[in-house]
Amino acid sequence: MRPTLISALVLITTLSALLAGCGSERGHLTLAVNSGVEGDALKQAAVDYEASSGVRIEVVELPYDNLFEKELIDLNSGTGAYDLIMLDDPWFPRFAVSEFLTDLGPMYEKRGQGGPDDDFIATSMALCRHPYETGRLYALPYVGNSQLFFYRKDLFEKHGLKEPSSWQEVLAAAKTIGERERSDDGGRLYGYVMRAEQGNAVVADFLPIFWAHGAEMFDPSGKPSVDSEEGVAALRLMLELGRHAPPGYASFNADEVSAHLLQGSAAMSINWPAWISAFTDPARSRVAGKMAFTTLPGERKPGQAEIGNWLIAIPKGSRNADAAFDFLAWATSPEQMKRSALRGNPPTRRSVFTDPELLAKFPAYPAQLRSLETSRPRPRTPLWNEIENTFGIFLSKANSGVLTPEEAMSQANAEIAKIVERNR
Amino acid sequence: MRKYLSLPFLLAAPALAVLLALSVYPLVYAIKVSLQVGAGDAARWGFGNFTRLFGDDLFRSALLHTFSYAALALTFEFLLGLGLALLLDRPLKGRGVFRALLLVPMMLPPVVVGVVWRLMLNPSFGAINGTLKGAGVDTDSLTWTASPSLAFASVVAVDVWQWTPFMFLVLLAGLQAIPREPYEAAMIDGASAWQTFTHVTLPLLKPAILIALLLRTMDLLRVFDQIFILTEGGPAFATETVSLYIYRTAFRFFDFGYAAAMSFALLVLTNIISVGYIRLLQRQEAA
Amino acid sequence: MKATLRLLKYAAVIMAALFGLIPVYWMVTISLKTEAAHFSVPPEWVGFGPTLEHYREAFFSRSFGRYLLTSAVVSVSSTALAMTVGTLAAYGLTRLRMPERASRRLSLWILSTRMFPPIVTIVPLFLMMRDLRLLDTVASLVIVYTAFNLPFVVWMMRGFFQELPRELEEAAMVDGDSRMGALVRVILPLVAPGLAATAVFCLIVSWNEFLFALVLTQTEAAMTLPVGIAGRVTQYEIKWGVMSAAGVVAMVPILAFAMAVQRYLVRGLSLGAVKG
Repeated sequence: MRPTLISALVLITTLSALLAGCGSERGHLTLAVNSGVEGDALKQAAVDYEASSGVRIEVVELPYDNLFEKELIDLNSGTGAYDLIMLDDPWFPRFAVSEFLTDLGPMYEKRGQGGPDDDFIATSMALCRHPYETGRLYALPYVGNSQLFFYRKDLFEKHGLKEPSSWQEVLAAAKTIGERERSDDGGRLYGYVMRAEQGNAVVADFLPIFWAHGAEMFDPSGKPSVDSEEGVAALRLMLELGRHAPPGYASFNADEVSAHLLQGSAAMSINWPAWISAFTDPARSRVAGKMAFTTLPGERKPGQAEIGNWLIAIPKGSRNADAAFDFLAWATSPEQMKRSALRGNPPTRRSVFTDPELLAKFPAYPAQLRSLETSRPRPRTPLWNEIENTFGIFLSKANSGVLTPEEAMSQANAEIAKIVERNR
Repeated sequence: MRKYLSLPFLLAAPALAVLLALSVYPLVYAIKVSLQVGAGDAARWGFGNFTRLFGDDLFRSALLHTFSYAALALTFEFLLGLGLALLLDRPLKGRGVFRALLLVPMMLPPVVVGVVWRLMLNPSFGAINGTLKGAGVDTDSLTWTASPSLAFASVVAVDVWQWTPFMFLVLLAGLQAIPREPYEAAMIDGASAWQTFTHVTLPLLKPAILIALLLRTMDLLRVFDQIFILTEGGPAFATETVSLYIYRTAFRFFDFGYAAAMSFALLVLTNIISVGYIRLLQRQEAA
Repeated sequence: MKATLRLLKYAAVIMAALFGLIPVYWMVTISLKTEAAHFSVPPEWVGFGPTLEHYREAFFSRSFGRYLLTSAVVSVSSTALAMTVGTLAAYGLTRLRMPERASRRLSLWILSTRMFPPIVTIVPLFLMMRDLRLLDTVASLVIVYTAFNLPFVVWMMRGFFQELPRELEEAAMVDGDSRMGALVRVILPLVAPGLAATAVFCLIVSWNEFLFALVLTQTEAAMTLPVGIAGRVTQYEIKWGVMSAAGVVAMVPILAFAMAVQRYLVRGLSLGAVKG
């Protein structure tokens, strides 16, 4: 037994020394993607590209939170581990301010082009520039996510409700449906369901309500203003909606929200378009054909969806920037974006949104396009990650009943002010 | 004679070098990092990170969570572990099998433990609420990971689930190392079962108890993996421990200086506690 | 009376064992169920139609095969290194001509480095690995785990060596062996069971480690199984089936190892303080 054990040890040690030798190298591309539907589409695109161009591509899938951390580490220390990174748009200011990303302008010039074509949706393109909308181009938009309002058309018709145009109407509808309806298996059917897990999730689902009430994260002078009367009113409405949500919603993320909607135990929600295909698939959904998708309700102001585009950028530390740009230009071309759309990702090009074949397959495209074009980004600050984390903690405290809306907002405001002050 | 002295030293040297390089040097490095306020070129030297500790309510509450987590889990693990050890101390048919089965949870990778309990505790779709619903119980208020106090209780319970076996094993070994004579003497003196337990068993078991408590305390104060998977510190910050807060500060907010300062606070507190235990142990050994 | 007491005793022990095993069993069933059956109410504990779909996805369309290999390589190499360096050091320490008190102090200091909360050293270690350009390499994990296991090996092996009388190797040396020769030919075979038990503990610790593996890796070049499992929490859904399948795969070798060293378990866990 012992000699075999020792020889196995020696073998594996040698093997490990060999493995340690292979890191990221020249001539092939390493691509960091979000694990989930967006990343999967890009992963498949990478396989196609490998076949047609002969460039080897390694794809690293990381879960949402971890993806940001890994990218920040890589960019900050210039390790060059990744040649292309997929990033959620709120992370962009952090990366751009620190000058971590490759300026794409010269890349276009090198190829005799002035810049990206104007088929890209303006709100998506604006995210890729630093400063916002006007500055240099450091990324290209790949997935055109913006929030949509999902509701059960069949139940709304049954109870004579019309498509909600304000959050008060949403609340009233949630009450009606919650009181009068049961789910297929006789369990309760909840009027509303939302992501309220501490962190990114609760902030993302709260901001459209917050904006609709006329509240703003920061006043014109850059001071935080979440504790305004409008902000508190918005949070109060969120808690009201929570009373019509399934128990334990304070820990829900997309997984639970979708599961409730798919199983027919919740009637309304804010959701990202990537989920639409799941709802129309009878194998996964008990509510196929019963779900409607529309733009977000307003309140004191017209409703605005939050934009949540996935961008692709090239880190400055990449040793293969040119090859990376070739892939980037290829992956965001109209033909490839159509293939990505067929794999379930909302596009960022107008021509793809209006493609007849896709329109037939994705009836919600007109609503998505409207939502995307009128959408609004989360505050463009490099401190967003820390601010979102803090804001999320206090929203979570309000949703789980630890703090009143007033307390939560004034404490959140104080903590956000500290973050801003510290980094001045 | 010279040769006799140097070889053992040469043998020990590589290990000491590794420890100096990878345990001591990082600590020194951390001191340097903690004295830098701000990031990159804008960093200044100063004690700003340490003064910030005192005004940070979130750090204070993470610290409070960490210590109440440790205290609660330690208490339950100790009592349950002692109970099981006493049960299995006397010959019992199938003792070996039971001992083997009882130790399963403690061997699992903590990440897997997090996964297992996410599957059990999910308020909407978990096995626990599913089973209860199937039995007709109203599970609306049993939101295991969603209400702050229940979520805290849940993460403690998961720790108790995983680590009670450890207490049990160490205490069982301690019990079995106690000689028979003191028990016989107690019987001759006509002591009751309770008297025997408090006057014979507990005092003789004390070294094993102290070791078990020391090792568990050190592990509890550093808890990270299961909570990272199970609740990520939520809801309402109720399950955020110091390790999670440090991790987030370092790798999500990229504030290494403040993360290092918090690490020091944690290290100092951990050290005070472990020195306390070791004192107790040494007094025990001297007695 | 005595019979009832006995029955109660069994009932308590069986309850405890079940409490420990049921959640693990549940994970195994999830890994074998179709996605549609994961969350049926009431839950199906037995009698579901099993599928190997999640295992197939984990190992063929996701990279769990690679994570598994990395985990094995990292655990085995770091254990081999820690055992070699640590055993020599432990032997050296027990044979050093120094006062018992000082030797104990030194060993206690060595042990105390293991008590550091890992989060304390992770920031500096991360920065060090970055400066050495070792981020995202198997080597970085092997180095860190070796350092992590080393104090444990020294402490454990010191205990085993101390139980051996010095006369043993002195006799061998009189017979013409060098000190190293005596160590290899006489001493090591005597402590072989201790060596094996200590090695298995190092394997378990390295295999289960998560925090360092999470921070020090960037691509699949060095990701270990626990990092891969944690990565299955995606933004839109949690891949319960794949996660559970990977969890089962991560659990099986550890349980096998643990059962193999049951005899030494207590001693290893309590750092030799309670002889089991």
